[in-house]
Amino acid sequence: MDTIAAIWDTIFTNPWLHGLFFGIVIATVALTLVAWSIWFERKLAGRMQNRVGPVFVGPAGLLQPLADALKLMRKDFVVPREADKALFILSPVLLMFFALASLAVIPFGPDTVIADLDLGVLWVLAFAGLMLFPLWMAGWTSNNKYALFAGMRAVAQGISYEVPMLLMALVPVIYAGSFNLQDIVRYQADHSWFIVWPPGPGIVAFVIFFIASLAEGNRIPFDIPEAESELIAGVSVEYAGMSYGLFPFTEYLHSMIASAMASVLFLGGWSGPVFPGIHWMLLKTAILFTVILWMRWTLVRFRSDQLMRACWRWLVPISVVVVCAAAVLRYFLLAGGAP
Amino acid sequence: MKYIYRSFLSMWVTFRNIFRKPVTDLQFPRTRRERADRYRTSFALVHDEHGEEACIACKKCQMICPSDIITVVAGKKAESPRTGKSRGYLDDFTLDMNACIFCELCVQVCPTDAILMTRNAPRPEFSREDLFLTREKLFANEPMVTWATATKLAEMQDPDRGQDKPASAGEESTEAEAS
Amino acid sequence: MPGKVPNALSGVELPDPHMDIEDYDPDADLMVLNMGPQHPSTHGVFRVKLIMDGEVIVKAVSYPGYLHRGVEKLMEKLTYAQITPIVDKNDYVSPMINEQAVNMAFEAALEVEVPRRARWIRTILAEMQRVASHLVALGTFTLDVGGAIGGGASIFMYTFRDRELILDLFEELTGCRFHYNTHTVGGQRHDIPAGWAGRAIEALKLIDQRLDEFFELVIANPIFQDRSDGVGILPRHLALGLGLGGPIGRASGVDLDLRRDAPYHCYDEIEVKVPTRTTGDCTARFMVRYEETRESLRIALAMLEGVPEGPICSRKAVNSAASVKIKDGEVYVGVESPRGELGTYLIAGGQGGQGPYRLKIRPPSLHAISVIPYLLPGNNISDAIAILGSLDPIMGEVDR
Repeated sequence: MDTIAAIWDTIFTNPWLHGLFFGIVIATVALTLVAWSIWFERKLAGRMQNRVGPVFVGPAGLLQPLADALKLMRKDFVVPREADKALFILSPVLLMFFALASLAVIPFGPDTVIADLDLGVLWVLAFAGLMLFPLWMAGWTSNNKYALFAGMRAVAQGISYEVPMLLMALVPVIYAGSFNLQDIVRYQADHSWFIVWPPGPGIVAFVIFFIASLAEGNRIPFDIPEAESELIAGVSVEYAGMSYGLFPFTEYLHSMIASAMASVLFLGGWSGPVFPGIHWMLLKTAILFTVILWMRWTLVRFRSDQLMRACWRWLVPISVVVVCAAAVLRYFLLAGGAP
Repeated sequence: MKYIYRSFLSMWVTFRNIFRKPVTDLQFPRTRRERADRYRTSFALVHDEHGEEACIACKKCQMICPSDIITVVAGKKAESPRTGKSRGYLDDFTLDMNACIFCELCVQVCPTDAILMTRNAPRPEFSREDLFLTREKLFANEPMVTWATATKLAEMQDPDRGQDKPASAGEESTEAEAS
Repeated sequence: MPGKVPNALSGVELPDPHMDIEDYDPDADLMVLNMGPQHPSTHGVFRVKLIMDGEVIVKAVSYPGYLHRGVEKLMEKLTYAQITPIVDKNDYVSPMINEQAVNMAFEAALEVEVPRRARWIRTILAEMQRVASHLVALGTFTLDVGGAIGGGASIFMYTFRDRELILDLFEELTGCRFHYNTHTVGGQRHDIPAGWAGRAIEALKLIDQRLDEFFELVIANPIFQDRSDGVGILPRHLALGLGLGGPIGRASGVDLDLRRDAPYHCYDEIEVKVPTRTTGDCTARFMVRYEETRESLRIALAMLEGVPEGPICSRKAVNSAASVKIKDGEVYVGVESPRGELGTYLIAGGQGGQGPYRLKIRPPSLHAISVIPYLLPGNNISDAIAILGSLDPIMGEVDR
């Protein structure tokens, strides 16, 4: 028992070991959750469409993600002849790397965070933006006109929607006075959730942040880069096997991270009565993730120019106004505001 | 904004559908749902009510088939043990289920109600040859026939069908036990 | 132009589809994109070669013919009874109407009258088939506009779930869910079973209710409206010039419906309200189909209440290949299929009178496809898919 306590202490005090240990744990848990979110989505989609979803593999279809993973791993990995081989193979790997890296700063509990960075918000948003780069790479190096179209549209959409996303992520930063995600959550735990108080900018910022994350992650209704009926599979049209599998996997992972970020920034993260923090965090993330899936299976998609117009004509001006309003309300309404 | 409001209304519709009973509640290969009386999937050659083979190898079904899938090889004419009259007998009969379009014309033209359709669930096979219905398979399907025979179809389409018969009591005597 | 919304009746400027591509701007970097025969969105195997300048289509050339099966040549060696199950597979989404068209041509050549009960049943079946076919068209259009994995798929599943109710009724009547071979020269081959009319009324009323849900889910959704408003405006003169008469023509202001204007079978005994629009865009075509579905439901419900008694066929059942003999004659019969006017031109007298000398089918989808070189240029691919979906071509009848 003493040795275990000693090991536990060293892990917590030594920053390298702390990061490594929690990194492995959280990454494993996150990847498992993402894999089973595939099951959840297919069951939810099935029920919404009056059918049952997977039922054969395992009890109630629970082993379906395993079956999918095994199937994808068995498939032939084909590289087109004219494709840029190194970058072609590197794209899905990079995509996964950036998605996992943004998990590093999300606080799942009062002590459960891999790296308590002082610039947590910027870290996550930077990696969300960096994820566009492998998408475009996949589109270009596939040597396929459909993939090229998809890659171009993905980049245009991504860089446009980063603007309202960043601006709205600034609202909790202004309220809490820090970029550190743990500080933001602690502030909400001590006072009240930013979506509720100060009234006004919180809820608008939440909605716009949510919509912008949907657009970043190429989810319906903004999934023009992967529009199957037009571009078959979007950027991943030339990929086969597990390298294809990494694309939708990363899309789910990004959706989960977006839900986690939205709940950390606006919904209070791990704060909540009675139960330990991590339960609340997972519950809020799960609810937002379900809303993302629900929207996916209900709405039709925007055309790319309508998407752009929505961003630049509506979301960006509203975001600017909201940021200013947030600053004003912080000065008057929140503790530590007026000097 | 109306986009968000209307999107939520649409999402409410899908939400309501989650609680409806799924249409695919039966899982297909394990359970099969009850099909209509007149459902037609496969074929059977039958014996008539006196136990003799009904088919007289007249080849009308072979001539009417739009897909040319029936091959009839007629055997020697012989005397029927029951009536003593000379009648045709069947030597070999092949029906290619790979190409059948289930039009029921072979059933309709048969003068002795020999070839009928069945209602059993079609079995998938692993090779094309297994989908050729040979004479043995066709006679083996006999217990599973559905209602339509040439006589019944001719009755149903009779232009002098009784005007006093109420139209809604359709010709319904099914002789089938479906499988 | 502020204030002036282009529609089918105003003069919409269409690009010249026969323009030689070399005459286009020499500085532009044109790209050829093949929306090839295998594509999840085109309805059937159909190839469109798009010449694009960036994301905008400059010229579109369509290549049908991938589904050509030589049906009309095959008819030259089939007898009249054998033709009905083959012609089912032309417009494979509405087989009842294909069979009705062909058998009406045979009856016109033979000058034989169909009994009243058979005509009544044929009309009911045609209207129910129209509902089923329009449900497919509405569902697949939303599938094209939304996602194959995503919102469009949910709506597609709902329309198909409702269509299954109709297909189950057809299975009770004929024995096959699809491709029935139930029409014959002189009438019908299968009669309505006991209780069918009651079950049909229930099912159609349920579909009517579900269409309300569909309206709320799709038509009232502004994202859907954005995708299809103003997209692919087909001017009226072009629709008339290319011979488009069905929902596509009616959406562009061509007020023609064979059920009302040239009634056949029992259409002269009932009132058919024909929805038309003048905007001519994808929304108009979609809404015309939606309203036609409602109208067909109303007609079928009204007709199911009072099916007359009597025989269902005026000739004896076909019992050999030579049962139906038409010595000679040349007839053209047009019926209103869910896609437009489905015409059958019959020159009888071949094969010693047992089969046709020539049977030509006028497929409405072929005329629908011919607008593609006019409508596609100037749009980007998303709109091109939406336009193709709204035209609802069925390649089986285009290529035969």
